Amino acid sequence: MLTKDLLQYKTKKGQILPQFVNPVDNQLLAIAEQLIAVFEASPNTPRATLLESSKQIIDSTPGSPIVKRGLEKLLLDRTEFDTAPNEELIAFRHKLFTETSRLLSEKQFRDYTDYQQSVQEQFDETELGVKLYADLPSCQPVLTFNTLSAERLLHRYNAAQVQGLLLHCNTVTLKLADSMTAELRQLFKYLRFNQLLSTIRKEGELYEITVDGPLNLFYKTKRYGMNLANFFIAVLHQPKWELAAEIQFRNKQRYLLSLDESCGIKPISQQFLAYIPEDIQLFQAMLQNKTDDWQIRPGSQFLPLAGDFYCFPDYQLVHSSGVETAIELFHPWHQGHLIARLNTLAEQKDVSLILGVSKELEKKPLIAEALETSTYFAAFGFTFRDVPTMRSLLPILNTLV
Amino acid sequence: METPLKINFDKGTLILQNVPEALESQLPDLRWDERTLTFRAPAYRYRKIVSQLRAHDIPYQDTARQFTAEPFMHQKTISPYPYQSEAIDAWHANGKRGVVSLPTGAGKTFIAILLIADTQRPTLVHVPTIDLMHQWHTVLTEHFGQEIGLYGGGQHELRNITVTTYQSAVMHAPHYGNRFGFAIFDECHHLPGEQYQYAAISSIAPFRLGLTATPERVDGKESRLYALVGECCYEAQVQELSGKTLSEYRVVTIAVEMEDTERVQYEEARSAYLNFLKQAKINMGTPRGWHTFLWKASQSEAGRAAFKAYLTQKQLSFASTTKQEWVWKLIQRHRGDRMLIFTQDNDTAYQLGTRFFLPVLTHQTKLKERNAFLNGFRDGTYSILVTSKVLNEGVDVPEANVAIIVSGSGSVREHVQRLGRILRKREGKQAVLYELISKQTGEHFVNRRRRQHHAYQPLKNSYSLKSRSS
Repeated sequence: MLTKDLLQYKTKKGQILPQFVNPVDNQLLAIAEQLIAVFEASPNTPRATLLESSKQIIDSTPGSPIVKRGLEKLLLDRTEFDTAPNEELIAFRHKLFTETSRLLSEKQFRDYTDYQQSVQEQFDETELGVKLYADLPSCQPVLTFNTLSAERLLHRYNAAQVQGLLLHCNTVTLKLADSMTAELRQLFKYLRFNQLLSTIRKEGELYEITVDGPLNLFYKTKRYGMNLANFFIAVLHQPKWELAAEIQFRNKQRYLLSLDESCGIKPISQQFLAYIPEDIQLFQAMLQNKTDDWQIRPGSQFLPLAGDFYCFPDYQLVHSSGVETAIELFHPWHQGHLIARLNTLAEQKDVSLILGVSKELEKKPLIAEALETSTYFAAFGFTFRDVPTMRSLLPILNTLV
Repeated sequence: METPLKINFDKGTLILQNVPEALESQLPDLRWDERTLTFRAPAYRYRKIVSQLRAHDIPYQDTARQFTAEPFMHQKTISPYPYQSEAIDAWHANGKRGVVSLPTGAGKTFIAILLIADTQRPTLVHVPTIDLMHQWHTVLTEHFGQEIGLYGGGQHELRNITVTTYQSAVMHAPHYGNRFGFAIFDECHHLPGEQYQYAAISSIAPFRLGLTATPERVDGKESRLYALVGECCYEAQVQELSGKTLSEYRVVTIAVEMEDTERVQYEEARSAYLNFLKQAKINMGTPRGWHTFLWKASQSEAGRAAFKAYLTQKQLSFASTTKQEWVWKLIQRHRGDRMLIFTQDNDTAYQLGTRFFLPVLTHQTKLKERNAFLNGFRDGTYSILVTSKVLNEGVDVPEANVAIIVSGSGSVREHVQRLGRILRKREGKQAVLYELISKQTGEHFVNRRRRQHHAYQPLKNSYSLKSRSS
C-alpha cells in the first residue's frame, strides 16, 4: 500500500480525485520495467544496494519522482529480506562491548586514538567499525522478490492510490447490479473476512451496500480504514460498480471520493470465479454421497428479507423438482450478524433460507438462548463443528420438498 | 413474564436487546443499529449503563461481562511512600477511575500493583512499547508470583493479569474487551491518539487507571483521556520529589562550536534550504509547513537539492565532529558511571556506537539483543548505552546517573522523559544531564523552547503535593 506522502490526488469543489497513471503509457511502462528488472536481479543483494540501484532509475528517468517512488514502494512490498538475527555478530558485539566497557571504566586514555588502538589491538580486526553493525536493515540481503509485469504494476499502483485514500475514510457505499454472481460471492467473502458490517438495500435496479464497522454507529472513525482498503480489492472484480467514500486526512476538510468501473483499474488479486472453493467441493461430495436429488453451488444472488433488507447466502441448493433454497453460515466471529438475521427472520414468512451456526458460536450464552427461543431456527437451522454435515442438513432439506 | 433486558459484548461494542422504550433515551450513547436491528453502545459505556439499570431497578441479563473477582496476592511485603498512598486514596475516592500524574521514577508501577491487588479484578495493562511490555511482565510476575499474560510483539497469551501494547489492543480489544474488569493505561498521554483511543473505547472495564508524567498534550486532547479513563485525580511535579524519592539532579548545557569546514558546509546548506523556503513561499511556522516543504521539494530539481541541503545542515548540527569530541570528553570524565547517550535519529546513534565501540539500542535492535543490552547495562557489564528514542519512555534503568543529549527534538515531553531516565533514587546518587547544543544553529532555538518546562526551574525545597480530590 502507499503511504500518504506517495499519494497523488487533486481536490476540487469538495471532490477528491486520485491522479491515476496511464497503464499503457510507453514511457512509464519502460521505467516500470527497469525498476522490476532491478528487483528481479536483487536476491542476495543488500537492501541499501537495491535501493541505490532503484534510486538511480528514479533520478535518471523522466516523469514524476513521487510516482516512481510509489512504484518502488509497491515493489518493496513484494520483496522479502533476510531479517533473521545474525547470532555470530551478536556474540561478537557482546564480547567487544564487555571489553570496551571494562577499558572505559578502568583505564585513562591519552586521547580517542589511543582508545581506538587499544580496542583494535585486542580484536585484531582492521574493519572493526564496518563489521560492528553489519546486520542493520540496510545490510539485510534480499531473499525473494515476487515479480509481476510492468502493466500489472501500473494497475496495482492505481489501485494503491485508491486504497491509500480509503485508509482515511470511515464508510464506503457501493452500488452493484444484480446480474453478477460469483464476483459478488467473492465480494461478500472479503467483507466478512475483513470483519466489516453491511447494510444492503435496493435502489432502483441497483443494490446499495453500505460497508463499515460496529463502532461507526458512534464515531466517524477511520478505525476500519485498513479493512475497507483491503476490501476494495474485491470491488475491482465486479464488472459494474460505483463507489463513494468520504475522505478526511486528520481533522481537515472532508472530500468525496467517487469512482466507478470506468476508472479502468484491472483487478489486482486472484479471481477465483472458475475455481470451486474446497469447502464447496467437500460439501458437494458429501451431498452426492447421500442424495442425487439436490445440487449445491456457491451463493450467487441476493435474497430479499423483511423490510427492505437483503442477505447474500453462502450456498444455493436446487432440488430436481425445481425447489430452491439457500444456506447462510455463521462462524464464531459472526455473532452480530446472526442476532440481526434471527431478528429479521422472526418476522419472515416466505423466505427459504437455512441457517448454519458454528458450535463455537453456540457456546456463547446469548446465542445459545437466542437459538433456543427462535422458532425459525428450530425449523430451518442446524449447528456444525468445522463444516456442515449432511446428517444435520438433509432432514431440513427434506421438509422443503 | 416480560423478557429481561439483555446486554452482550460484540466487537468492542455492547448489544442491548429488549430495552424498555422509556429507558432508550436515558442510557448513554445508546443507538439503534439498522445493520443488526439491535440497540448498540460503545463498550466503555458498560459501567454507566449497568449503573443506570441498577438505579432504576430494572432486571437485566448480562452476558457481556466475562470476568469475576480474582484474589491477587502480593508475594512481597511492600509499603508505599506517603504520596503513593495519597494517590491510591485519591483514585478510590474518584470512583476507582482516573489519571495519576507523577514524575518518572516516582513509582507509578508500584501504585498500579497495589491497585491491582486492591481491585481484585482481571487486569489488562496497556503500554506503548514492547520494551515496556516485557518490563511490566517481569515486575508483575515478581509481585504476584503467577503467570502473567503477554499480548503483542508476536505473543498472544491472555491471563488474569495481562500486559499488552496499545497497538495490539486496538486490533484485539474487540475480541477480548469484555474479559477484564480493570484497565491500566501506562504512559496514558498516548491514549487520545486517533487510533489508540479505541483500546479504551472497546473495553467494558469499569475500573480504569491512567499513569503518566505529563498528561497534557500539544493538541489539547487530554480531555479525551479524562473522558475515557477518568479525571486526573492526583499529580506531583518532578522538583517536588527531587532529593526525596527522586535523585538530586543538575542540567548542564554545553554550547558547542562547529569546526571551520563544517561551519562552512552548514552555512551553505542552511542558506540553500532557507532560500528555497523563501522562493517557494513556505512558512515552516504553520502546521502545514513541513508537509508543504516535502511536497514542493519533490516537484523540482531545485526542490530536491533544497531537501538534501536541509538534511545536511540538520545532520551537521546533530552530530558535528566537535559534538563527538565532547562525547568522548564526557565519557572520560565519568569513568565508572552508568551513562545513557541520546540522539535524535538512528543514524547518529549508530555513528556514535561505531566510533566509540558502544552498544546501540534502537527500534531496529532485535528483542533478544535489546534485552541483553538492557540487562547488561543494569548489571554493569556495559557502562554506556547509546539510544535514539526507544528509551525515552518508561523503561526502567535505575542505575543510570549520567545522560548526554547529543541531539533531540524541541519537544518538552521528550526532554523531561529523557531526564526521567536518570532520576531513579539510589543512595548518594547525583544525576547529571548534559545537553550538547551546536552554537548558532537551529538547535539553539529548539533548546530554548524545551527549557520552558518546570523541570528546568530552580529546585524547590518544599515537599508539597497536589491532590485534586482532597
